[in-house]
Amino acid sequence: MRVIKVGRWQKVVITASMVAFVALLALALSAGGLGFTLPAGRVRDVARWYLFTTFNPDLELFSAMAPEGVTSIVWDYRGLDTLFETAVFFLAIIGSVAIMRDIKTGGGSKPKGSTGLSPIVKTVTRITVGIILAVAASIALHGHLTPGGGFQGGATAAVAPLLILVIFSRYYIERLGVSKNAMLAIRSLGLVGIAVTAFIVLAVTSLQGGVAYVFQNQPKPYAPAGMPYEVGGSLTGGTLLLFNIFEMFAVSAGFTIIFLLLAIPESEVLGVLRGGEDGH
Amino acid sequence: MPSYETFVMGVLAILGLVSMVAAILAILERDLVKAVIFSAIQSTAYAFMYYLLMAPDIALVYIPVAIGLYPAVVLFLIKKTERYEGD
Repeated sequence: MRVIKVGRWQKVVITASMVAFVALLALALSAGGLGFTLPAGRVRDVARWYLFTTFNPDLELFSAMAPEGVTSIVWDYRGLDTLFETAVFFLAIIGSVAIMRDIKTGGGSKPKGSTGLSPIVKTVTRITVGIILAVAASIALHGHLTPGGGFQGGATAAVAPLLILVIFSRYYIERLGVSKNAMLAIRSLGLVGIAVTAFIVLAVTSLQGGVAYVFQNQPKPYAPAGMPYEVGGSLTGGTLLLFNIFEMFAVSAGFTIIFLLLAIPESEVLGVLRGGEDGH
Repeated sequence: MPSYETFVMGVLAILGLVSMVAAILAILERDLVKAVIFSAIQSTAYAFMYYLLMAPDIALVYIPVAIGLYPAVVLFLIKKTERYEGD
C-alpha cells in the first residue's frame, strides 16, 4: 500500500472542509427539517391528520381512539411495519441462539464462597430491580395513554435481569428461574400473542359472518367490527394494550437471552465450538 | 430576557457539542472500556436532546437501550476479546 504524505496545509484544508461539511449539514437539516423555532410554528399535513384522528370520538370511523399518537401510529396506522420489526428482532435472537446451541447457560453447580460484587452493591440492586420492573410495567401498560409502549417497557425491563446477572452471578439468576429455555418460552408466547391480537377482530367477525381487516383495531368504513376502546370508562386503545403487553414480554425475554448467552465465559464457548474428541 | 425557544435551542447546542466531543474521544480512545463510557456519555446527551425535541417515546427507548443494554453488550464482548486496541 502506498503511503500518502500529507503536508501541513493539506491537513488544514482537510480539517476545514470536514468542519464546513458538518456545519452546513447541520444548518440544512435544522432549516429544512425543524425550522429555526422550537416547537415548529406549522405542523405538516400528515402530522396534522394523525393528531386530528388519533383520538376523535366525532370521527370514530377514521380514529384510532387512543390518545397517544405515537403508539397509535406504531401499532394501528402502521401496525404491519412494527410486526416486521418484531420479526427482524426475533430472527436476530434466533440466530444468536442457533450459534450458541450446544452451550449450556447457567452456572452449573453452586459456586464455593461468595460470588458477585460487594454486599452494598447487592443491597442497592435488590431495591432498584423492583423499581426498574415497576417503571417498565408502567411504561408498557400505559403505552396507549402516555409516551412509551411495548418496546420501551420491554427494553427497560431487560435491564433488571442484566443487573442481577452482572452483580450476583450466573448461578443465582438461574436459580431465580431466568434460564434460556424459560426466556425462549416467554418470548414465543409473546410473539404468538402478537399474532393472535393481529387476527382477533378478523377471526371473531368471520365466525359471525361479517367482514374485517387484518390488524383491525377500531371500526372502519365497510368493516363495522372493532375492539372496545374503553372498558368501564377506562381507555384501553383496543388492540394497542394487548400489543404493548405481548411486545413487552417478547422484547424483555429476547434481550435477556442475549445476556445469558454473552455471560458464558469464552473458554467454555470455544471448547464447545471447536468440538471435543468426538470430532463434530 | 431570552425567550423559551432561545433557551431550548441553547441547551440543545450545548448538548450537541458535548455529544460531539464524547464521540470524538470514544473514537480516539485506545482503552475500549473507556471508549464505551465516552459512548454512553454521548448517548446521555442524545437522550436529553430527544426529550427537548419533544420525542419522549424515543427518549424512553433510548435511555435503556443506549445507556444500559448497548454498553453492557459491548463490555461483555470486550471481556471476551481484548481490552486495548492495537496498532
